[in-house]
Amino acid sequence: MVFLRSEEHLERWLSANGWEPGASFGTPKLNELARLWWWTRLDPGWRTRTADESQALLDSVGLTGEFWQLT
Amino acid sequence: MDALDLDVRRHVYFSVVANGRPPTAAETAESLELAEDAAEASYRRLHDAHALVLFPGSTEVWMAHPFCFAPTPHRVTAGGRVWNGTCAWDALGIPGALHGDGEIASECACCGEPLALRVEDGEPVEGRDLLVHFLVPARRWWEDIGFT
Repeated sequence: MVFLRSEEHLERWLSANGWEPGASFGTPKLNELARLWWWTRLDPGWRTRTADESQALLDSVGLTGEFWQLT
Repeated sequence: MDALDLDVRRHVYFSVVANGRPPTAAETAESLELAEDAAEASYRRLHDAHALVLFPGSTEVWMAHPFCFAPTPHRVTAGGRVWNGTCAWDALGIPGALHGDGEIASECACCGEPLALRVEDGEPVEGRDLLVHFLVPARRWWEDIGFT
């Protein structure tokens, strides 16, 4: 997962590497996901999330569809 | 994941926050009064469970997500230290995991131009106009986590 300056830079980067587009969006949405995903990582009582729980976190920020299916 | 592995994982993460680096298996063994080979076996099980990532062929911790212990393009200042974020997602995850503000010095994957992001009170206040891109579909993230 990488940062890019603009759509133009994204297209140039994909083309230069011969890669098909995956999924892209702005940093506010990634920040929202990152805080949800990692918020409990240092909790003393941390436990592994189930795939369903992780999927629900992706769903909660609107990351749905085949690309975002974990299993 | 059994109680021993959860204890070892907790020790690794607490050591990361306290010292800025993960403990070796030998250090964890000493701290938790384990045999060194038991700590190494636990590290390997945590790797297999995707709770830690070890360097290939080693018991040295490469990633305790969202923290990375090898150079990356994502330098994150948060919690009084400078960290490496494994990827864009993890870079923003470090202030989240530390429940605080953070500054990220990164670069455009296309041109290498420096990019700056700043998170305050949970919101990105600088770098809001930047894009992120996920190349690998979610189902394949762990096939090659270094590339992902």
